[in-house]
Amino acid sequence: MSNLLELKSVTKVFGGGLFNRSGRTVAVEDVSFAIDADEASITAVAGESGSGKTTLARLLLGVIRPTAGEVIYDGQDVARMSGSQRRQFRREVQPIFQDPFEVYNPFYKADHLLHVAIEKFRLADTRQERSRLINEALETVGLRPEEMLGRYPHQLSGGQRQRMMVARALLLKPRIILADEPVSMVDASLRATILESIRSLNRDLGISIVYVTHDLTTAYQICNGILVMYKGSVVEQGDVEQVIKTPRHPYTRLLVESIPQMGEDTNWESGAVNLMSIDEAGETTGCKFADRCSEVMDTCHGVHPPRYQVADDVAVACYLYDTHAIEGTGSGSTGS
Amino acid sequence: MAGEVMDRPGVAANGHVSPTSVADLQRGRGGGSEVPAMDVRDLRVYYDSEAGIVKAVDGVSFSLRAGERLALVGESGCGKTTLGMALMRLTKPPGYIDGGEARIDGVDLVQLEEEEMRLARLADIALVTQSAMNALNPVMTIQAQLIDGLMDHGIKDTKSNFQNHVRTLLRRVGLRESVARMYPHELSGGMKQRVAIATATSMNPRVIVADEPTSALDVVVQRQVMATLSVVQRETGAAVILIGHDMGLVAQFADRIGVMYAGKLVDIGSVSQVIEDPKHPYTRLLINSVPDLVEKRPRLEGIPGIPPPLVDLPPGCAFAPRCPSAGAPCSTVDPVFLDLGDDRYVSCHLYDDSVEMGD
Repeated sequence: MSNLLELKSVTKVFGGGLFNRSGRTVAVEDVSFAIDADEASITAVAGESGSGKTTLARLLLGVIRPTAGEVIYDGQDVARMSGSQRRQFRREVQPIFQDPFEVYNPFYKADHLLHVAIEKFRLADTRQERSRLINEALETVGLRPEEMLGRYPHQLSGGQRQRMMVARALLLKPRIILADEPVSMVDASLRATILESIRSLNRDLGISIVYVTHDLTTAYQICNGILVMYKGSVVEQGDVEQVIKTPRHPYTRLLVESIPQMGEDTNWESGAVNLMSIDEAGETTGCKFADRCSEVMDTCHGVHPPRYQVADDVAVACYLYDTHAIEGTGSGSTGS
Repeated sequence: MAGEVMDRPGVAANGHVSPTSVADLQRGRGGGSEVPAMDVRDLRVYYDSEAGIVKAVDGVSFSLRAGERLALVGESGCGKTTLGMALMRLTKPPGYIDGGEARIDGVDLVQLEEEEMRLARLADIALVTQSAMNALNPVMTIQAQLIDGLMDHGIKDTKSNFQNHVRTLLRRVGLRESVARMYPHELSGGMKQRVAIATATSMNPRVIVADEPTSALDVVVQRQVMATLSVVQRETGAAVILIGHDMGLVAQFADRIGVMYAGKLVDIGSVSQVIEDPKHPYTRLLINSVPDLVEKRPRLEGIPGIPPPLVDLPPGCAFAPRCPSAGAPCSTVDPVFLDLGDDRYVSCHLYDDSVEMGD
């Protein structure tokens, strides 16, 4: 089994500098995971704002370099790629961003974005070839080309704009699509439509997806594997069915409990007024969640907990699972 | 036209006297629980556009019981926020309230003079928005802003009484008293949103309009803010209109759900009625589009198509072109708002015995 994309103990530190250690922010700390080359998967990177998930996404895209550790694509360290390797990487790993409004230049027609992609990567030699590619991509994401082409961004709905972004990614025949909160700005109906079109790319075209989100419900619905992040560290990682249905880390449990469910009479509200939020929690050398944890022990304030392999396909960084055999460090996998 | 008899601004027809001191505020406003907190009749909010008149809210009627939590849901562009803003009389040009009534304690807000309405905001009806956190003044302490609002509404009292009241308000929303002396930039998003709730309830309004109060927040903070709103609602007895699109969230919070489509209320009933037995096909599809944690679905299904532009709507039901159950009359005959009994209303030909659906 070979890995298409792999993170090896990646850490990213922002700010600080030689004389200013206190100003440093550890945005991502010792994160490892891999995307299999042979079987297309959908992996969720889940967490609240401030969990480091967007930094992780930018590391995956090669936009920023890790402070420590490596991002490996197709056997090559992304930070050390040659020009042509980098171009190939940039084509094969495509991003879809959160805000379908910001990426469009309001002075250009919306499909300008598609033309630029085709030119930059020299995908078409003739005009016919170009429009064939564009039409194909638009149709794949469920848009009618005659309704989309020649219109300005403001004439399209949020959902149409976001699907056009998916079409742009598709044009480049990527092997991985990295979708950073692609549906956090649209309503429930569009959310379902857009996620289904992303899922069909995985199912029908064999493209692996990294889905960065704060929404565990949609992650559960479309993903195979999941990483739950908290303040830059992965607290729980593995098969999505296991992680969501039997959350083991107290933080994952808190997240799952906090999801408002339709028609379920939970005590969703009770006691919630006093929940501490991520930005109210203090700094610690031990487990970063210790401050907010309902099951905190003395050990938790000491050093950061290692990863415990609690099941075949689930790893948890929490001292509650100290009885489980400790796996070799830095080699977590996302499970199936 | 101001048609109401009023002694002075803010004095409602049923004799509710405007509070003038902090002690008045802390006594609460009492008020009968039998009278509806708010009564909305045939409210219409239109926009003039180049293409014609946009009927963003078109003849919405509902009655809000005292202390009730009503959720308004629908896709983006269905008119729910426009309705909320109209209830606050904050409709901005080119939008305008074309007609209808919105009564609190008998006083029709639509007819109030601008200055009367300014005083009614906060005192009778208050707003918590999605970006309430950005509405805070960056150069004033939280305490100063809260007191500013009260003084602006004619409350006169000593400094220590004001400060006392602020502490009570902050404690009620689960914030430390020390937050009173802090500036907005020192607070997290969830804390700011709770300050917004404290502000909205500082004068014990009859109605709080909460427009997507948590859509910019993380799930844990969302739960915390909604729990806060819930506690505050129970303590003050204010009725809440929660505007949102997350069916799961509104189901956890509300007593009743009203579903809006193309500027109209199309389905309204208790939470259990609407969730367990959705009547309008739109409601059914809306519920179906919400993913859950119970089981993985083979397909995520959004509602096919997009909402229609609200200019020159063709006759019949506005949802007909997207409706899986549409029949011949749906594109010709306007559906009426049917009373199904048990406080359940729906606007759909499927439930109208006088309409022959055919196939």
